Amino acid sequence: MNDALLEARNLSRHFVVRTGHGLIRPKRVVRAVDDVSVSLHARRVTAVVGESGSGKSVLARMLARIVRPTSGELVLEGVTIPPSAARSLAYASDVQLVLQDPFASINPVHRIRHSLERPLAIHATPPGEIESRMAAALSRVSLEPPARYLDRYPHELSGGQLQRVSIARALCVGPKVLLADEPISMLDVSVRLGVLNLLRGLCDDEQLAVLYITHDIASARYIADETIVMYAGQVVEHSQGTALIDAPTHPYTQLLISSVPDPHDPLHEAPEVQDRTGQGQFPAEGCRFAPRCPHAMDVCSHTAPPLIEVAAGHESRCWLHDATAVAITARGQGGTTSTT
Amino acid sequence: MTEMTMSEPGSAQNDLVLEIENFSVDYGWGDAAVRAVNNVSLSVRRSRVLGVAGESGSGKSTLVYAVTRLLRAPGIIAEGSARLTFDDPDGGTGARRTVDLMAASASELRAIRWSQVSIVLQSALNALNPVLRIGRMFDQVLKAHRADMTKVQRRQRAAELLELVGLGEDRLARFPHELSGGQRQRIMIALALALDPQLVIMDEPTTALDVVTQHEIINELAKLRARFGFSMIFITHDLSLLVELADDIAVMYAGNVVEWAPAGDLYATPRHPYTLGLLNSSPPLTGERRELVGIAGSPPDPSQPVGGCSFHERCDFVLERCHREVPALRVLDESGRKVACWLHEDGVSVPTPLRRRAGDDVPATMAAEVAP
Repeated sequence: MNDALLEARNLSRHFVVRTGHGLIRPKRVVRAVDDVSVSLHARRVTAVVGESGSGKSVLARMLARIVRPTSGELVLEGVTIPPSAARSLAYASDVQLVLQDPFASINPVHRIRHSLERPLAIHATPPGEIESRMAAALSRVSLEPPARYLDRYPHELSGGQLQRVSIARALCVGPKVLLADEPISMLDVSVRLGVLNLLRGLCDDEQLAVLYITHDIASARYIADETIVMYAGQVVEHSQGTALIDAPTHPYTQLLISSVPDPHDPLHEAPEVQDRTGQGQFPAEGCRFAPRCPHAMDVCSHTAPPLIEVAAGHESRCWLHDATAVAITARGQGGTTSTT
Repeated sequence: MTEMTMSEPGSAQNDLVLEIENFSVDYGWGDAAVRAVNNVSLSVRRSRVLGVAGESGSGKSTLVYAVTRLLRAPGIIAEGSARLTFDDPDGGTGARRTVDLMAASASELRAIRWSQVSIVLQSALNALNPVLRIGRMFDQVLKAHRADMTKVQRRQRAAELLELVGLGEDRLARFPHELSGGQRQRIMIALALALDPQLVIMDEPTTALDVVTQHEIINELAKLRARFGFSMIFITHDLSLLVELADDIAVMYAGNVVEWAPAGDLYATPRHPYTLGLLNSSPPLTGERRELVGIAGSPPDPSQPVGGCSFHERCDFVLERCHREVPALRVLDESGRKVACWLHEDGVSVPTPLRRRAGDDVPATMAAEVAP
């Protein structure tokens, strides 16, 4: 599968923040996204799952080139784009972003018509075509008849309808890649499936490559062809299909899955979380999940694990899947028990 | 404390903590009034958890704000009564006192609030005072309601409360912005429990948190409730979360309670088409991947009420009378569970997914396919 439409190679984004109080405040580097590689293919939905602060939204914004990467490169249809290059109109028409909250991302003082007209005008659509392209975009997201919606104001539509408008706005410039950043988390439960089915349908029928970002691992399982779990700016587990959800190999993925409410097994215990570090705080050395990990070994505290292949098309960033690391730990533990 | 083993929604019990009857709330006056809560009757019993599930705009938050008299204009309580019963602190052991919340004066409400009923709000960052240290907030509450406590005692109690929710004493010196979302929500819960209330109202306390933190807090709440025996109203849009936590669940749609049943029954054998739809709207984490449909359409606009049953436009099993007549919430069977739906009237053949029995081994999602 080398026909990636959009590929991110070793993308990183670091933010410098000042900490503490007073005049002399030390600088600290927050590694929001660290060395992440993703490739998006036509007719495939790639799901990125992670908690708040895991860097998934920064990743989407880098892919849309709204946030400039600190390092790494983007490859769009085989053309490499260096991190320093300015965002071009052509890129924007190929890669479109749909944001989480449609109430915030669609201008409330203008009619829907305005929100759809602007991108078309900016992307140099012949004036005669604008009306028909707007109607077509609304039809594609099942807002029919389009004429009924064009002259409405955002407050006259429900959240689900508004998110469809937001998707239509992204579609009307004819993108090849659709980046959807938590598109359903602000919507009512009863209309979420409708939007998910719409994304899946667009992906299959229009040859779109879709990046679906979510914190809801069950919805990722529902829609994804490829799944990525992010923790503290890194990819911790990656698999084709939803293998990592059905058979999670990274302790963080396991924690995530066991935390989802399960009516069949009320109040089941998730693995105990040992350390509670604040948001954005993780060790500078070793595995970033180690302080919370129930299986942490010595090696985890000083050496960061690489992505290790655990099955065909399934990688996990955990020393537990490295035979040497596990063997050394087992020997170490054996040694301590024999001396005591 | 005696705890009933069987849950019987709506049955007359003398251990009721909160009793809401025929409660309606409007936003606005006169012709411009929009009905947000429509003729709702619910009750909460001692040491039980009532889950209220509903989507945005279903009236679930409005209901509890109105009942606790926290609702601000233009919200108006159109009709109804709400009574709170609690252990009388001035009476002897076992003495209970009932207060009519609608008739209570400002000073009576002040005495009840926080000490008998407390509330945990959705956004802890907005609900906590950003310019006060955490310790100060505990201090203020205890000072106002427990005048006989000394400064040292108050500090001790605050540390004790933090301990209860799994936080260290050092957090007392912090400001809200220095804490993570989960820690802030724990502080909110500790504050709500500060005066040993009989009823704690949780308004979407975990919606803004990620699943890992949510799971920890839900487990924490279950432990606290087992230990202190307070009753709880838990409001959320996440029905599967309620099935885990609640004893009884009331499902609200467009201002009406459409189904009210013990949590397990509601999950295993939903009787209202909306409940069934909600249960089918969450993709499962296990089993085969298959396409789900959810519920067609979108929730109604409360300012443009539809005639008849509020759900009829989105209902798969709609009958002719649903367009005209509003179904009342009525007792369905001997178990005492209630549903507001014409499909369960005499002489109507109930669609297969809505008449499954608990023993049937078909999950609700599969049953939807078998429907005629």
